[in-house]
Amino acid sequence: MAQIKADPNKVSWEESEFPILCETCLGDNPYLRMTKQSQAKECKVCTRPFTVFRWCPGVGMRFKKTEICQTCSKVKNVCQTCLLDLEFGLPVQVRDTALGLEDGAPRSDVNKEYFAQNMDAHFQNSEDGLGSGGFGKAESAGREMLKKLQRTEPYYKRNRQHICSFFVKGNCTRGAECPYRHEMPLEGDLKHQNIKDRYYGTNDPVARKILSGPRAGGAGRSGPPDDKTVTSLFVTGVTEAIAEPDLKGFFYAFGETKSIVVVHKSKCAFINFTTRAGAELAFEKAGGGVNIQGVPLRVSWARSRPVGARSEQRTEAAPSPAAVMDSLQAGPPPPPGSASDFAYPSQDPTYQGSTSKHR
Amino acid sequence: MPKIRSSRTKRAPEGFDEIEATLLEFQQKMKDAENDPHEGKRKVEALWPIFRLHHQRSRYVYELFYKREAISKELYEYLLKQGYADGNLIAKWKKSGYEKVCCLRCIQPKDTNFGTTCVCRVPRDKLEEGKVIECIHCGCRGCSSGSGAGVAGSKGAVAAAGGGSSSKA
Repeated sequence: MAQIKADPNKVSWEESEFPILCETCLGDNPYLRMTKQSQAKECKVCTRPFTVFRWCPGVGMRFKKTEICQTCSKVKNVCQTCLLDLEFGLPVQVRDTALGLEDGAPRSDVNKEYFAQNMDAHFQNSEDGLGSGGFGKAESAGREMLKKLQRTEPYYKRNRQHICSFFVKGNCTRGAECPYRHEMPLEGDLKHQNIKDRYYGTNDPVARKILSGPRAGGAGRSGPPDDKTVTSLFVTGVTEAIAEPDLKGFFYAFGETKSIVVVHKSKCAFINFTTRAGAELAFEKAGGGVNIQGVPLRVSWARSRPVGARSEQRTEAAPSPAAVMDSLQAGPPPPPGSASDFAYPSQDPTYQGSTSKHR
Repeated sequence: MPKIRSSRTKRAPEGFDEIEATLLEFQQKMKDAENDPHEGKRKVEALWPIFRLHHQRSRYVYELFYKREAISKELYEYLLKQGYADGNLIAKWKKSGYEKVCCLRCIQPKDTNFGTTCVCRVPRDKLEEGKVIECIHCGCRGCSSGSGAGVAGSKGAVAAAGGGSSSKA
């Protein structure tokens, strides 16, 4: 990264060899083709020209590119594309409030450029790169909370195509070949996100949602019952050890339970009561957290959407849905003597995403 | 560029008169496509009819000579020289695997970021199912030989006039 540039104007322009990205942005395929263009765009935060990297994060995803320069991303320790923390995958605001980090970065024009320039020099010299003032063990309580808030799996929905604006207006003439999503956009707060706000950690609707959510130690989404007349409770932390009869036995005390659906895969369960009163009583008593079979569980109100029939099937033994789907999608069995016995995993064309599995 | 007749130009070889009607039709359509307004179309989409007609016209001549053997070599070469068909494109059709190539841009690797060919060259069964592709260069929906699409399929729904009218030779 230490190239001496002849033109004095260009000395402050950034050159980099590889982007600073999080795993979700890079996608699931370990083989990537990426294009690199020097000074192709200006950084969305500091407006200096920087090297843009562009790649495809997987089949059916839009091509992503780096949005902010490396200096800006190192200052806040975020991914260059999605602007989420590299360690936790959480918005800057969430991470900063959890760790109590103060923000030193100025926002107004000349100050911003001056700051960026200094940071650039700082990183070039020190090259350790990860943010000012180390993330020491002193903030371990905050880190614990952040660990709880983290996603467990990569969230590839972020890499989907953008919404087709013509579709929203109702007249997309491209129809089937339109590469953009034909869905309605989100409503409400989350619609108004601003890259600068997200970067500096101020006024970020997603961060607000996370911080006030059930896992963040906030009082939970709903103290009193909300949403029309929901009679179901949502229980999380359900491990393999807990089965329907255990839950039934516990919640029966509060009121007749219409049904209980357990989804071990996502460690949750739905308790559907016949009466609203029963549900309310159960929430009152158990809302703070219960302990069944020695396993701590969290209880909250379920969303008004009815529990899917799909999840009910899961509990009904017999062939697991995954196996059924596989056999349906495998198509006709391969001809005898074909290359279906692989000496090496790399001989399998579906091994790492180069061909889609259902073909 | 030729196609202009004066007293100095040589006469066309025999057999030209039968196909002249079709060729004129193509010419007319090409003019229409060139003069079409661009309203309601994407920037690249406005060029697609041109490429389509070019392909169809060259295809007509190619089939007359190589497949149906309905015109003489002399006439064929005359047509190529006068610009009624694209010799370079026809040269590709003679190669195995490229029998249905849509246009010369789509097989040019220098035009792409990673030195590959256009997406329309990908065989249908390697492409994710149900995904309709219209390549940006010429609007082609799949021109690999194994696609089974054929000219009419790959270049859209409108039937080629040339294919419809039979050669009287």
